[in-house]
Amino acid sequence: MIAAKKLADVPRPLHRIARLSKFACKIAWYGRVARFFKGSDSWPEGQLLTGHLRDLWTLGRLAALLCLASACGRATPPPPARTSSSSAIHAGGELVVSVRTEPRSFNRLAARDSPSDLVATLTQARLVRINKKTQDVEPWLAERWTASEDGRRVTLSLRQGVTFSDGHPFTADDVLFTFEAAYDSRVASVLADSLQVGGRKLEIAAPDPHTIAITFPTPFAPGVRLLDNVPILPRHKLEPALRNGTFASAWGLSTPPSEIVGLGPFVLAEYQPGQRLVFVRNPRYWRTAPDGTKLPYLDRVIVDVVSDQNAELLRLAAGQLDVTNGEMPSESYATVKRAADGGRVKIFDLGVAMEADSLWFNLKPGAFATDPRARWLQRDELRRAISMAVDRQAFADTVFLGAGEPVYGPETPANQKWYWTGTPKTPHDPAGAKALLATIGLTDHDGDGLLEYATGAPARFSILTQKGRPRLERGAAVVRDELKKIGVTVDVVAFDGAALFDRIGSAKYDAIYFRASRTDTDPAITPDFWFSSGTAHLWNIAEPKPATDWEARIDELMTRQVASLDEAERKRLFDEVQRIFIEHAPVLYFAAPRVIVATSSRVVNATPAVTLSPLMWSPDTLAVVH
Amino acid sequence: MTRYLARRLAFAAFLVFAVSSASLILTRLGEGDYVSGSLGIEARRETAAQARARYGLDKSIGEQYRTWLGRAVRFDFGNSLLYDRPVRDLVPERAANTAILAASALAIATLVGLPLGVVAGSRRGVVSGAIRSTSIVVLSLPPLLTSLVLVFVAARTGWFPIAGIRSAAVAPGGETLDFLHHLILPACALALPLAAVFERLQAQSMGEVIGEPFVLAALARGVTRRRIVWRDALKPALRPVTAIYGLVIGTLLSGSFAVEVTTSWPGLGNLMLDALRARDVYLVAGCAGAGAVFLACGTLVSDVALAMVDPRARE
Repeated sequence: MIAAKKLADVPRPLHRIARLSKFACKIAWYGRVARFFKGSDSWPEGQLLTGHLRDLWTLGRLAALLCLASACGRATPPPPARTSSSSAIHAGGELVVSVRTEPRSFNRLAARDSPSDLVATLTQARLVRINKKTQDVEPWLAERWTASEDGRRVTLSLRQGVTFSDGHPFTADDVLFTFEAAYDSRVASVLADSLQVGGRKLEIAAPDPHTIAITFPTPFAPGVRLLDNVPILPRHKLEPALRNGTFASAWGLSTPPSEIVGLGPFVLAEYQPGQRLVFVRNPRYWRTAPDGTKLPYLDRVIVDVVSDQNAELLRLAAGQLDVTNGEMPSESYATVKRAADGGRVKIFDLGVAMEADSLWFNLKPGAFATDPRARWLQRDELRRAISMAVDRQAFADTVFLGAGEPVYGPETPANQKWYWTGTPKTPHDPAGAKALLATIGLTDHDGDGLLEYATGAPARFSILTQKGRPRLERGAAVVRDELKKIGVTVDVVAFDGAALFDRIGSAKYDAIYFRASRTDTDPAITPDFWFSSGTAHLWNIAEPKPATDWEARIDELMTRQVASLDEAERKRLFDEVQRIFIEHAPVLYFAAPRVIVATSSRVVNATPAVTLSPLMWSPDTLAVVH
Repeated sequence: MTRYLARRLAFAAFLVFAVSSASLILTRLGEGDYVSGSLGIEARRETAAQARARYGLDKSIGEQYRTWLGRAVRFDFGNSLLYDRPVRDLVPERAANTAILAASALAIATLVGLPLGVVAGSRRGVVSGAIRSTSIVVLSLPPLLTSLVLVFVAARTGWFPIAGIRSAAVAPGGETLDFLHHLILPACALALPLAAVFERLQAQSMGEVIGEPFVLAALARGVTRRRIVWRDALKPALRPVTAIYGLVIGTLLSGSFAVEVTTSWPGLGNLMLDALRARDVYLVAGCAGAGAVFLACGTLVSDVALAMVDPRARE
């Protein structure tokens, strides 16, 4: 490949020579073929046992020809485009984005997959937006808001003069409709659960056509931050579907693009099933750039469905793609780096990710009632010993191929606001881990190097992980290998997503290695993880009452944290939550990847951020050199 | 012949029915379902229960299967949970893409494999040796690997689009050329191993035929070698390839799955993969049924062709 690259880089006269030599070879080849067709030595006898050496020589020549052809025919790389820092932003042009699968729906209330979210980001708008770069809440459809002193009521003033892409005016009525649809039990919206506080719905009212009053069931410190993921939908288009109970299937993939209207920067112009979605600029979009230019900058966004990751990367490197909708896996870095060195691609290293892959045990009381391992499998000491046994730096180097950093708690340093700076760094101490395991009865009784319980039963458990996610499978394998060094036997079993989620929900597992993503950096937005009654309280889902004292303590601290309007107090309370969490280690974290994203060199004004959609979270300000 | 044809048709119908039924039941029997996969781990139980009721996943397997079967006999195969579209609309549009890919691959494989087989089978020396060796190398490469190599070459050279079925912006009138441009790479990835199979079979068969007495007799009468090979020996030498032609149609479908994924060809393979990942029971059954239709058609064509050539096969 290096040779091929060098050949492609040589000046034009050498290309000509290469072409001429190829042509000469062709003539010679045709001549030989013609000669052999004219006559044979031993017609009509067997023809399978002679000429092998000559065959190999011929094959070699064929291969060389192919390589030469490949090298000579290589497309001329596009000239390196100006970088974002040096380019003026020009309106117009088109951007090609790739997604791995088609969206499931054009209705964000009915689908939560990442392509559907991308469609919503392109075509819809929210009341407020969290700037993924700064993590601050920004006015969006609501241009300002005020909160009551008790933190229960927020009044939002809606932007006036805004219209949907079909020209219909946007009013508070559309906001009421969106929340009504999200809470409708017949819709079973994927956003319904995230729009609850303390398990109860918000009360939404519209005092006038340009004002929305939201009342939280309990004091809620993050306030309007909760509204970031709710696209405001047009009542005039979707109300009939909600009334007749078909809202969940409204705006499905067979809906004509012209029927899908929104307040976002683009409108869907074309959908080619299984292939691509084409979005064009929404001429009625309401945002302008600071210099007065009407946004969005781009004329078109083409979202191509590229199901294979290798093809996606090759397309990016070949200039057939501008942006991939997601992080770049560590194993792809080398390919993209080569393209970046050639000036065809720009790479952004955004630092450590917000979330780390995690290992947790089934801590549901009674989950191992008939299993003799119950005596040690749910003990804090086991988890602390595992934390000591795993060499986090080696873990980061192996799992993320060097592009990772050790992590010791539930928050990574990327979450600058909520990360506890006092997070203790658990040392890599296999001997200490073995000593800790001995305190819960796990010792090497028979001298075979493997730990056993007093009954002679081996210290053995299984880790379930998700199939088809190389990073997760590698991580689970590293944990297995590290624990083998201290005598604990681990079986890694990979399940497909649905089966794994089913196991987690029904608490039928020993341990899970998975990346459970959270929707926001503010812990109050993700209470289901922290509260013992939460549905994302991974190690023991939806406890009727806290199973342990420390979980009860976290519940108490988080209740205060969610309600407090004093940011410093909230930080202090959450630091304490993290301290307790790390002490009891219901979930273990070893390392988080560095988030690396890439764009083609013609993309300008990108504001990459550590989020699930690092580049496409702000599509109206993206531009291209054209 | 009519009775034989009816029997084969009945078997084909049974094959389609059995495969799609088994797919639906097996997908449903597996752990997890569409709702647990789509809502994720953080969904509340009530929300998940409402979603299951909406999709009919709260019913027992037997009840769901009976309902599906009752509708399937009226050619209503249910709605895809993933795309919320009727399976009977979704599958044919993707199956058409797969059929185009498979037909193109078959044509390329035939046009390349058969003549090379004739040459390799009727000659000895460097040319036949090179053909034979290349065939063996290509034969040992699965279509997945071939497509990866071709995608790599396409990326390096820029000769062909790396993925997709047509470009986003095509000049009016250039749609067909653009489509063919996209088709070449996946079709070649699928065709190359098949061409090698045809070449090997044809070469072997040709080698046997040219050893027949009638060939020697023709030679003795002064008929030219070229005439003997391309006119007299070719026809009887085609039998083995003809016999497997029908089966090849079926296997092309399964081979195309990997190629479709690698080259982002929006065919049945990609759809089946999405359906399986999402546990979309109705779509899995539909895709599997369509695959069975391909196989059944291939087998039927093969059986009928064989029955026409050899009446003993009808018994």
